[in-house]
Amino acid sequence: MLRFVSRALLRACFIIILAVLLAPSAAFAPPAASEDKIVIQYDCIPNYANWGGVTALYKQVAGVTVPPDPKGSSVAMAALEKEKDNPVADCAYYSGAIGYQAAQKGLHQPYKPKGWEKIPDSLKDPNGLWWTVHTGTIAFVVNTKALAGAPVPQSFADLLKPVYKGKVAYDDPTWGGTSFTFVYGLNELMGGTEKDFRPGLSYLKKLDANVSSYPRESIYNSVLRGEVPIWINADGNGYKMKYVDGGPVEVVIPAEGTFTMPLVMGLAVGAPHADETKRYFDWLLSAPAQAEFAKSFFRPVVAGTLPAELATKFLPDADYKKARALDLSNMAAAADALKKAWLDEIRGTGR
Amino acid sequence: MWPLARLAAGAFSSPDAFLKVLAAGRYRTSLVNSLALSTAAAFVSVALAIVPAWVFARERFPGRDLVRTAVSLPLTFSGVLVGFLVIVMLGRIGAVPKLAGLLTGRELFAGSAFTLAGLFLAYLYFEIPRAVMTLEAAFRHFPLELDAAARSLGAGPIARLLHVTLPYAAPALFSTLAVTFSASMGSFGVALVLARRFTVAPLEIYTELTAFLNDAVAGALCIALAALTFGVDRLFARRSA
Repeated sequence: MLRFVSRALLRACFIIILAVLLAPSAAFAPPAASEDKIVIQYDCIPNYANWGGVTALYKQVAGVTVPPDPKGSSVAMAALEKEKDNPVADCAYYSGAIGYQAAQKGLHQPYKPKGWEKIPDSLKDPNGLWWTVHTGTIAFVVNTKALAGAPVPQSFADLLKPVYKGKVAYDDPTWGGTSFTFVYGLNELMGGTEKDFRPGLSYLKKLDANVSSYPRESIYNSVLRGEVPIWINADGNGYKMKYVDGGPVEVVIPAEGTFTMPLVMGLAVGAPHADETKRYFDWLLSAPAQAEFAKSFFRPVVAGTLPAELATKFLPDADYKKARALDLSNMAAAADALKKAWLDEIRGTGR
Repeated sequence: MWPLARLAAGAFSSPDAFLKVLAAGRYRTSLVNSLALSTAAAFVSVALAIVPAWVFARERFPGRDLVRTAVSLPLTFSGVLVGFLVIVMLGRIGAVPKLAGLLTGRELFAGSAFTLAGLFLAYLYFEIPRAVMTLEAAFRHFPLELDAAARSLGAGPIARLLHVTLPYAAPALFSTLAVTFSASMGSFGVALVLARRFTVAPLEIYTELTAFLNDAVAGALCIALAALTFGVDRLFARRSA
C-alpha cells in the first residue's frame, strides 16, 4: 500500500514538473526573449545598492530588461577579460578600485553619460572610461538580536574580543570589491602602505579567530536572519536591513576610522547593445534613478538627489568625518598582490 | 578533446606553472587536502553504506521504495545546495543547535557547518547515497548458495564473512570506493559555500580563474588534480579486478 502511494506520488510530481517545464506560458519565458530590449550588466546583485529596485524601475519607465547577475566586482572583471574576443556583457558595476583596474586593462570604452558635469572630478575618469554612480562607506552591519547578549562592537579593537568568536564575517576579497576596499583600507589604517601589507594582514590574522566564514556570495539575508551577527560591509546594506526590511540591525562606524568607496560603472569594449546601454547610463544619473539607489542608503553621486527623509536616517555626520577616501590608482596597482597575500596568509592555510 | 587541449595549452604556456603548483604553499596544500578529504569520505561512506545496500538488495519490506528514494535524493542536489542545507542544520542558528538548546539548555554544534567536521559531513551526505546505490547493484547478484554451502561445511559466521562474503564482495567495494573518491575530488559547490580556511583543489582552480585570470596555474592544478584522481582510481581498480 505504502509502496503504491509513494509510487503514485512520485509519478504525480514528475508529471506536474514536466508539465510546468513544457508550459508555453509568458511567466516562465526567459528574460532575454529576442524582441525584448535588454542590457547585460555584470555584477547586478538585487540586494546590493537596491539594483533590484533600480532595474525594476527602468523596466517600467523604458521597457528595457537588465537581468540580475550575481558576480562580485573581481569576478565581473575576470569575466569581461575572459570574454574579450566574444563579448557578452554591455557594462559592469564595480567597487571603485576594481573598475579602475578594469579600465586600465582596456576592458572599457569611453562614454560620458548625461549629467557627467555633476560628478565630482575625483570620482570619474577624465576620458569617460569609468564614473561613479553612488558611494558607500565601510561599516559594521550588526544584527543586535543575534549577538546573544554581547555588546554592539564599536571599534576594530572590539572585534578581536573573544566574545565575538564565530560571529564576524567579511566577504572573500578575491570575490567582492566591497571587501577588497575594506582589506586595503584597513591595511592603511593600521599603518601599512600599498607595498607593505603586513600591518593589515596581522590584524586580519588575529580577527580570523572570530570569523565564521569568508563568503563568496551575497550574505545579506543571512545577516538579516541572524546566521551572521556582524558583517563588515557597506553601510547602506545595513541601513536597508534596518529601515526597509525592519531587521534588528545597527550600523556602526568603527571608532578608529573607516573608508569611503565609490561604486563605478563602465561601458564594456564590444558591448552587444551599446546604444541601449548608453541610454541606460544616462538614466542612471537622472534624479529618479539616483533617488532609487538612495532607498538602499548608498549616497547618490549627483548632489541634491538624496531625499530629505532618507538623509536623516544615516548616522550623524560626526561619524562620517572618520571616513577617508582611498587612492584608486594605488589600490588598483596593489590589487593582485594584496589578494594573493590575503589568500596565502588568511585563507588556504589550514583548518 | 578540444577543451582538454586548451587546458593543457594553458598549463604549459607558462613553464613554471607546475613548479608553482607542486612547491610548498597554498596550491599543494589544496591538493593534499583534496586527497585526504576525498579518501576519508570514500572509506567512511562505503563502510556506512554496506548495511543499507545489503538490506535494499536482499530484503523486501513495506515502504522500501520510499526509503530508497529518500536515501538517493541527495544525489540529485547540487553541491551549493548541499552546502546551504548543512548551514541550515549546523549553522550558528541551525536546526541542530536550536534543538540541542531546547533539550539540554546548551546550543551544541552551533556554527560547526563551517568547520572541517561540517565539510566532512557534507561530503558524506552526498557520497553515502552514491555508495549505497552502487553497492546495492553489486549485492543483488551475490550468490547466497555460496554462503549456504560454507555453512553446511561447518563454517561459523565469522569464518563465512572472512572467507566467503568479503572476498566475493571485495571487487564491488573497491569499485565503489573509486566512484565515491572521484566524485569527492571533483566536488566544488560544497567547499565553495562551507570552506572557511580549509581549501580544496577545485576551489583554488576557481579562485585562480575568477580572481587572477591565471590560466597557467589553473590549468596545471586541473591536470595535477586529474592525475591524482586517476592514480588513486587505478589503485582501487587493480584491487577490484
